[in-house]
Amino acid sequence: MKLELRGITKRFPGVVANDNVNLSLNTGEVLSLIGENGAGKSTLMSVLYGMYKPDEGQIVIDGTELVFTSPADAIAAGIGMVHQHFMLVPVFTVAENVVLGVEPTGTLGKLNIDEARRMVREISDKYNLDLDPDAVIEDLPVGVQQRVEIVKVLLRDAKVVVFDEPTAVLTPSEIIEFFEIVKTLVSAGRGVVFITHKLKEALNIADRIAVLRRGKVVGEVDPKTATESHIAEMMVGRPVQLTVEKNSAEAGDVVLKVTDLTVLDADGRTHVEKVSFEVHAGEIVGIAGVQGNGQTELVEALTGLRKATSGVIALDGKDLTHSNPRERHQMGMAHIPEDRQRQGLVGGLSVAENLVLTRYHDDQFSHGVIVEWDAADAMAETLIGEYDIRTPNKETGVGTLSGGNQQKVIVARELSRDLRLTIAAQPTRGVDVGSIEYIHSRIVKERDAGTAVLIVSTELEEVMALSDRLLVMYRGKVVAELDPKKVTPMEVGLYMAGSRPDSAVTA
Amino acid sequence: MKNLFNKLGERLNRVSSMKLTLLAVLSALIVGAFIIIFSDVDNLKNGDILGAISTVGSAYWALVVGSFGSLRAISNTINSSTPLILCGVSVAIAFKAGLFNIGATGQMLAGGMTALWVGFAMDGPGIIQVPLAILAGAIGGAVFGAIPGVLKARTGAHEVITTIMLNNMAAFFILWLLKTDLFQREDRTDPISKLVSAQGRLPRLFGFLDGRSDLVAHIGFIVAIGAVVAYWWFLKKTTTGFEFRAYGLNADAATYAGMHVKRLTVLSMVFAGGFAGLAGAAEVLGTYGYASTNFAGNIGFDAIAIALLGQSSPLGTMFAAILFGALQAGGRQMQTNSDVPIDLIIVLRALIVMFIAAPLLIKTIWRTKSAHVSAGQTFRGWGS
Amino acid sequence: MRKQTLKGLAVGLVAVVGLAACGSSDSSSDTTVAAGAAGLACEVTDIGGVDDKGFNQNAYDGLKLAEAELGVSIDLLESTTDADYAPNLQSFVDKGCNVIVTVGFLLADATKAAAEANPTVQFAIVDSNTSAPNVQGLTFATDQPSFLAGYMAAATTTTGIVGTFGGINIPPVVIFMQGFAKGVEYYNAQKGTSVKVLGWDIAKQDGTFSGDFSDQTKGTSIAKSMADEGADIIFPVAGPVGLGASQFAMDSAGKVKIIGVDVDMAISNPTQAEVYVASVLKKIDAAVLQAVKDALAKTGGGTDYLGTLENGGVGVSITSTITPELQAELDAVTAGIIDGSIVTK
Repeated sequence: MKLELRGITKRFPGVVANDNVNLSLNTGEVLSLIGENGAGKSTLMSVLYGMYKPDEGQIVIDGTELVFTSPADAIAAGIGMVHQHFMLVPVFTVAENVVLGVEPTGTLGKLNIDEARRMVREISDKYNLDLDPDAVIEDLPVGVQQRVEIVKVLLRDAKVVVFDEPTAVLTPSEIIEFFEIVKTLVSAGRGVVFITHKLKEALNIADRIAVLRRGKVVGEVDPKTATESHIAEMMVGRPVQLTVEKNSAEAGDVVLKVTDLTVLDADGRTHVEKVSFEVHAGEIVGIAGVQGNGQTELVEALTGLRKATSGVIALDGKDLTHSNPRERHQMGMAHIPEDRQRQGLVGGLSVAENLVLTRYHDDQFSHGVIVEWDAADAMAETLIGEYDIRTPNKETGVGTLSGGNQQKVIVARELSRDLRLTIAAQPTRGVDVGSIEYIHSRIVKERDAGTAVLIVSTELEEVMALSDRLLVMYRGKVVAELDPKKVTPMEVGLYMAGSRPDSAVTA
Repeated sequence: MKNLFNKLGERLNRVSSMKLTLLAVLSALIVGAFIIIFSDVDNLKNGDILGAISTVGSAYWALVVGSFGSLRAISNTINSSTPLILCGVSVAIAFKAGLFNIGATGQMLAGGMTALWVGFAMDGPGIIQVPLAILAGAIGGAVFGAIPGVLKARTGAHEVITTIMLNNMAAFFILWLLKTDLFQREDRTDPISKLVSAQGRLPRLFGFLDGRSDLVAHIGFIVAIGAVVAYWWFLKKTTTGFEFRAYGLNADAATYAGMHVKRLTVLSMVFAGGFAGLAGAAEVLGTYGYASTNFAGNIGFDAIAIALLGQSSPLGTMFAAILFGALQAGGRQMQTNSDVPIDLIIVLRALIVMFIAAPLLIKTIWRTKSAHVSAGQTFRGWGS
Repeated sequence: MRKQTLKGLAVGLVAVVGLAACGSSDSSSDTTVAAGAAGLACEVTDIGGVDDKGFNQNAYDGLKLAEAELGVSIDLLESTTDADYAPNLQSFVDKGCNVIVTVGFLLADATKAAAEANPTVQFAIVDSNTSAPNVQGLTFATDQPSFLAGYMAAATTTTGIVGTFGGINIPPVVIFMQGFAKGVEYYNAQKGTSVKVLGWDIAKQDGTFSGDFSDQTKGTSIAKSMADEGADIIFPVAGPVGLGASQFAMDSAGKVKIIGVDVDMAISNPTQAEVYVASVLKKIDAAVLQAVKDALAKTGGGTDYLGTLENGGVGVSITSTITPELQAELDAVTAGIIDGSIVTK
């Protein structure tokens, strides 16, 4: 089968999301679609999957033009999609999830679960997926859940499988397993579209790489010859620094001291268990871990958004375990939250308003109950320039900015004052390459100015590149303290997965 | 390039929300016209289509004449708009903070009763009594509004449920109050309150014109305009107003930013109650001079439609309220002049709200190419 | 036709929009006519609207009688809020109505003000008292027919228990319940029986109320609980809520009977006619007709019209078979009420 996208153009009001895009894919090969957030990758795939109708252009399969009006049409044409967020019913078994919607039925419409089990086993064996049809989804690791999604797609007989940012949720070892699966799929004659923003992975697995920028395909490269910096330049449109430039840390006094911190949720489940660590002035401490191992709750407890069940959090020797977020903020704690849309920004407010979101009550910006908007606007103008926030003006709704610029608004707001401690959670998630470079340099600059910095990130590469010391969290506990210069990502990955390699060097 | 697009898109968005509102009103009038024609059985039976169409003309003309066609019409429009503006602001300010105040009716009743008490217990001088009674109305409404706010902040009880229940409680409480010796008029057996003393009545807006006792509009309208200005000032200029907007648009971000969201929840309902209480005071002290069991009527519910129509903005809410007030005043004229029943006004209002609530429908009908309509205020789900 | 069309639309749209936002007034009819030679008689309803199956509608029936009998033209304005009363009255004054009938005590203040401002126009107000020389109050001694209904219920109950309930605890409602209970009391005194009345306590002057005049399910549940306590005849004084009680009586397959109120419900509610043993009549239409006559003759102002058993302004319509003995007793009681020897309040 040969899949072609010919001259696809999709416009949204004020934006051309896809501009005359031409792509082709043969079965038996991996096409990687790479581009920054907002480059139009998702829109393009939504067009392919029948969720959007293109304004211009055709989808052609084996020379025949097809019109998709819904995902059902795309599935019928042999296109399958594994979304970034899985669409599984957590309390159902693997077999039940896989057949949802295409249930094999016996007399009177009774679900034939044996048949479903058999189908799962058959596909699992064929592609080395190693799935137990009777396992319940919620008990499975994320990597295995992803395989369930793959089986779902294969069961519907997809010739072309589209993966949307498939590695975002996986541990390093799971990523390696995932690539094996992709290879099996290809050798079995399926085509794979691999959407990512991670250069290394695209180079690793793809047969061809198509680079998308501002809705256009700016070029196709051969992974055998292309370099990372070359692709990055194509993505951003200018040369990009890909590594974090920093000198070795000059650690000062202890700023943040966390002692035996335990966090339970309202249902009594333990998310953080007896965690202790210190962050010194002038150093960056990174916390690595697979999503959902207590990092979110740890950060929320540190910033006052969640009650600590027991333990002590001290900043410069002062106990602030029971302080509210504003008090912590006023003591010099900055917080770049992990979910900027949900927590860090108010999408409906302007850039200027978001830039004072945590500071409007300071004397600088208000007198009594009156907000001094002139002062706030003046600061906004300064910060927009200083932090290179690309926005039409300061009155623009922050929700209309790109992910990278939104993140810059948060970074500008949080870092543009005297700080003792900066806590940054997933500081570059969903941020374009150009902005990543900038945000990393700001964080290092903050460290060099003597601020204690705590970075929490599920992007192992990022946290290893930024950190001076590295902690690994697994199931709510800190399981290792490592020197990022002396360990490999694979070794860290093993800690992240809960095992304890003997060869690892502890700092 | 991209900046240009953004700018354009925004311009389009802003224009279209205004345009969509007007189109919604226009669509409602057109559908209303068909309803008038198809229910004009007498003319249709005779095959007199032109006659039926002229019924539409006379009905709509009466709407205009009855609402703005004379000084009396304007006075009637002002009078009908006054409580609608105040309750509209009540609902709007709660919307801004992300709360759905269905309790304006109850708050209006509470505020009206406290204002009433000052109104008949004192006998002048008006310069002191009137402001005092109005203030009492605001406080009464605010205290009553605080109840669902506190319940939500403390227990998470959803304000939609609690305000509806409090509406009923207010209604029954007032029925009881109006039969107590304190409130019930001496010579009456039915639940009608004592009269507000002459000094305590809100002065009439056109009181300077001699012999025009038919011009019923009173200075409650000035209070209402003042409320709109205060609402605008609060949102734009104050720290708490900023907190309301942030909290209403994104509660998680407000928490993250260190705002005291429980305090905001209570405060928004206190303010909402205060504005609705003013509406009660204006009706009791201005329009009626006494209280019956249903002086709040449907105003508290109409206010929800008004706040939606005005997208909770100060000016939008005011104009929406004046539109509804004009429909009310014009509707009376229409009922008098033509044989189109007053129910058409209810239908028109419902249509306007329906068209506003379904912007897609409007866009399809009018084929506007405009961008996505601002979703307006979002509401948090149950128990949040 | 228009009535139904618009009412349906209004209800439908309000439901679609999902807001109980808009008013609930029912509908009007096509009545604007140039003043006839005999005069122009006009009605302003309260917020219930003219289709309320209650006093607004009955008053309008009275105007229609006047139209047929006296040749007057008639006109109607409905009010959707209390704020409509004064402007609607003003509209009719401007229009030159010879007599303006207002309905309900809610309009009392507005009617008084309009009457004082326009001393040459005649007014009549249903269910309220005279407040100015050119206003005629139309009031009804509904305790009298209720007394008869209570007597009849006590005489015909098989369980020895009867019931009554009201919509809201206000005088125009309570007066029925009091009269009913008094009638039962009188029967007990005469016959030495001890028929019990549920839902009204003469000593405490308090009883059972549904809380509104619209929610029929409350009528059903009150009727059910009274039936559970043994009542077999129930007298609801709650407008449409009473229809809920009638529905319960239908479902009880004859175990429970209902006494209708205001109008002859065996006629006005034909599908459930079998449950009504009698109806207490409050003849608003007759009173309005009389008021129009008086007004046109300029004799109506300054005093109340009081509908009584004597002048036929109130009455009982018996729609079940009763013994000649009971009929004779009822006739005697009626006579006693008229001559004042029996106290009904």
